[in-house]
Amino acid sequence: MSSHKAFHLSEDQILRALVDESDLSESMREHLSTCPSCRARRERLEEDLGCLGRMAERFAPSPEKRISLPEKYPASTARWFWNWRTAFGTVVMATLVIVIVWSSVLFRTIPETGTIISIEEPWATDGLMAEVSVLSENVLPPVYLDLTGDSDTGFDEEFIEFVVPTVENISSHYDSKIKGGLLCYENYRV
Amino acid sequence: MTQKDQKQYNVSTYGTASHIPFLVEKARDGSRGAFEDLVDLFQEDLFRMVYYRTRSRMDAEDIAQDVFIQAFKNLSKLRETNRFRGWLFSIALNRIHDFHRKKKFWSLSGTSDSDNKTDQPDSEIHVNPEALDNLVKKDFWKRIGSFLDKLPRMEKEVFILRFMDHLSIKEISLVLKKHESTVKTHLYRALEKFRACREIIQLLEEEKGEFT
Repeated sequence: MSSHKAFHLSEDQILRALVDESDLSESMREHLSTCPSCRARRERLEEDLGCLGRMAERFAPSPEKRISLPEKYPASTARWFWNWRTAFGTVVMATLVIVIVWSSVLFRTIPETGTIISIEEPWATDGLMAEVSVLSENVLPPVYLDLTGDSDTGFDEEFIEFVVPTVENISSHYDSKIKGGLLCYENYRV
Repeated sequence: MTQKDQKQYNVSTYGTASHIPFLVEKARDGSRGAFEDLVDLFQEDLFRMVYYRTRSRMDAEDIAQDVFIQAFKNLSKLRETNRFRGWLFSIALNRIHDFHRKKKFWSLSGTSDSDNKTDQPDSEIHVNPEALDNLVKKDFWKRIGSFLDKLPRMEKEVFILRFMDHLSIKEISLVLKKHESTVKTHLYRALEKFRACREIIQLLEEEKGEFT
């Protein structure tokens, strides 16, 4: 008895024992099993809670209506229907996703005009760019280039030499100019 | 399903708790009779469980009906047959939360008729010949209600599930989808408040005094 009096479980420990006795330490569990005082405190609290449960049960009314279940038992049919519905939904969703992805790759909407143009293969884009570069060089179509004389764009070496003479030609030309000038001057003087 | 099959899984023949997984298994395989036996087994428990949280017989009956229909339709989704009770209670808790949410919404909009429904026990007092008994009941629910309503939501739920619905800690953790240690912590805190509530202790002492 003296060892029991040496220590008793606190109120918190009694509560812990009530919630789950295995949460107490080994020594406390041993004490609880042998100490009549601590056991009585725990049992009193247990009795209060049991009384509360019994009162609640007694003071609650009984159901008057019988539970009525649906006519058909849904277990097997529901499972089949659910599976069928899920499979159908999955197929529809997959189709929709494929269509949306496909259409987003194929078509692009231009915000300004709202028209839809097709995006062609890369080789077609290259061709388009070549046409653009030709147009940037010659705005007029080939028929009109013939009329204007711009179609003949092949410059020969003589023409280039005329437009951009080489250094030697420049110097000889310059010399001949000077010489010619002097001659003229001399002739004039004479 | 024939009448004979329906009667084959009679609760009185097969007992109760140990045959619940068996009944659930049979019900899942399509036996309507087995499910009706499950209804017989759990109807009162479930009705009380809902009544503790709504304190209205009519609402409790409606919600219990809904819960069993939900269970009936979704029984194939229950994987572990020995967890039927917890599963049923978790469906009921969801329905009760929905009920309170709707009730709150309608009371805010001022078009609720559910307030009249919850006051049904009060109105019964005047027509019931056992008026004193009803007054005692009313007093009990008033005191219990005032204690429970002071508790935080989880503490209140855990306390009711443990000491009024008589679920184990493990079952509570499954119903509330919380870890067992969390359930224990909430229960411990609720018990501290219960012990400190003189009004409830006095009520219980009176009750015990009456019966001794």
